[in-house]
Amino acid sequence: MQALPNEKVGWGWTVARLPLLILVISVLLPYYWMAIGSFKTVPELVQQPPTFIVENPTLQNFHDPGFKEGENRPGHWAGVMQRQTDGKGFLHYYANSLVITLFVTALSLLAASLVAFVLTKRPFPGSRFLFYMLLASMMVPWEVTIIPNFIMVTDLGWIDSYKALMVPGLAKAFVVFYFRQMMLSIPNDLIDAATMDGAGTFRIWWSVVLPLTRPGLAAIGIPVAIAEWNNFLWPLLVINDSAHMTLPLMLGKLAGNLTYDPQSAGVLMAASMAVSLPAIAAFLVFQKQFIDGLTTGALKG
Amino acid sequence: MSTAPTRPSSDSTERPTSGTPRDSRLLVFLRKHGANILLISPFLALFAVFSIWPVFRSAYLSFTDYHATEAPVWIGLDNYVELFADERFYRALGNTVTYMLVVSLLAVVLGLVLALSFGTQKRWHQWIRIAFFLPSVAGGVGVISVWKWLANSEPYGLFNTIRSWFGLDPVRFLGDPAWAQPLLIALAVWTVMGYNLVIFVAGMRSIPGDLYEAAALDGASPVQRFFHITLPQLRPTLLYVLITGMIGSFQVFYEPYILFGTVDAIGGPLDSALMLVTYLFDHGFHQLNLGYASAVAWVLTTILFALTMINMRLGRANEGA
Repeated sequence: MQALPNEKVGWGWTVARLPLLILVISVLLPYYWMAIGSFKTVPELVQQPPTFIVENPTLQNFHDPGFKEGENRPGHWAGVMQRQTDGKGFLHYYANSLVITLFVTALSLLAASLVAFVLTKRPFPGSRFLFYMLLASMMVPWEVTIIPNFIMVTDLGWIDSYKALMVPGLAKAFVVFYFRQMMLSIPNDLIDAATMDGAGTFRIWWSVVLPLTRPGLAAIGIPVAIAEWNNFLWPLLVINDSAHMTLPLMLGKLAGNLTYDPQSAGVLMAASMAVSLPAIAAFLVFQKQFIDGLTTGALKG
Repeated sequence: MSTAPTRPSSDSTERPTSGTPRDSRLLVFLRKHGANILLISPFLALFAVFSIWPVFRSAYLSFTDYHATEAPVWIGLDNYVELFADERFYRALGNTVTYMLVVSLLAVVLGLVLALSFGTQKRWHQWIRIAFFLPSVAGGVGVISVWKWLANSEPYGLFNTIRSWFGLDPVRFLGDPAWAQPLLIALAVWTVMGYNLVIFVAGMRSIPGDLYEAAALDGASPVQRFFHITLPQLRPTLLYVLITGMIGSFQVFYEPYILFGTVDAIGGPLDSALMLVTYLFDHGFHQLNLGYASAVAWVLTTILFALTMINMRLGRANEGA
């Protein structure tokens, strides 16, 4: 089972591996089914047996030119782009998700990096206690904080606002912890030299520490961004209106429709495609960064 | 942010030479650390408001009757008493524990098998690993929605089509209590096995090669080498994957919510897919019984904590052996 690199592996072992290729297919199959489903017409979606290669590819699930709001035309369907409430549609939700993801990722990373820098290189009485508080907070599961935070956001009058989506997630303790580990390896001499040159804390952080920890920004930024892009439960609690809706919320709604309306599958697949495709594309381009980022902690701890 | 002071300055106070008796300790402290603390104070404020304070508030709420409309009323341990008497809670606990154990064991075993099979630097092995890793990157609600479509109860649903190839009758995957748990487990294993694969490959690569060479010289077979070198050397990685996997699957929410969640049946058919977090969600945000839901959150936290402790103890005990 554990062969050496230069060791001949018997053909038996190669054959034994074949069933695993079925697993490979099964991993990709949902993505394939999603991709072809999004281009199928309604009759083809519910055809039996289903087609594995699209016979009549259509863009109806994304945008159906024959669809008219408020008119019932047989065979025509509101595509993903046409599913609108209060004039806000898919592109609006897309922009919401994108802006929130970028904003929260960028700001939470910068803030955490600055905090990690002060804690490691500019300690003050109480900074050790603060660090332990950060560590302790990482052991509290989110189920504990979500109820008081929901009450807090309600009391602040932030329901149905971008603030509710962005602000509570900005102070991320685990990112501070991650950067702290990185900064411990920055030599103090470097910081001292910059201090001698008259640079203050913020200046040193911005022009010395931040560039030095750039690989770390990418590594931790990817999982933070993915989690933010997929965030579903919190928006579900604090957003009820269409103006602030995000993509996962819209998907959740469409998936809810599927329960009693199997014919909406094409639209759901189209929406899933539009949401997954950017992540898949980014992953294929930056494979190494994604894998390093998402497995961070597994091999160092 | 860029306007923050760049050096410890004390504009508001005069600047006595250090060590002057007039210097109060506070002033010295502020001069030395004030600007630094000011820099991180926005983070600290948010951290205190959204991460620390909620812990205390949640603990308090768990001892109250609170429905969001009127002020919380202290009821002592009533929530916990009610919780431990609720049959539905045990249902959720049982489902969650089964789910957690099966998912984390299957995902670890499959991850190991895959790592042994596709762990080399060969180009096609790398591509296979990338394929398996895909759900970790492009997962979430989108892909769970796709699974909901795959598991469609009609004969044209993909899973039912595959069943028909083997001569099996279509099944109502989302409506039959017997199928809820297997479906959720399959989805979770599908999501996480590639992640485990990648971690195990990295872990195996860090095992010194001479260990294997020495063992091979002594005539150890590949199977022996796996059990006597790879597995023991991989123990920390295995333990990490197992603990994080268990903690993650214990808190499962999105999958049952998207697959089964409607307001009237959040637990799926006959509560067969009711998990602890969906149970919490049901009480907290459907029935707005926020005190009770807080108690659920603390019970869940206690179980998670105990789980982590047991795992770590086990890991340490094994190390000594």
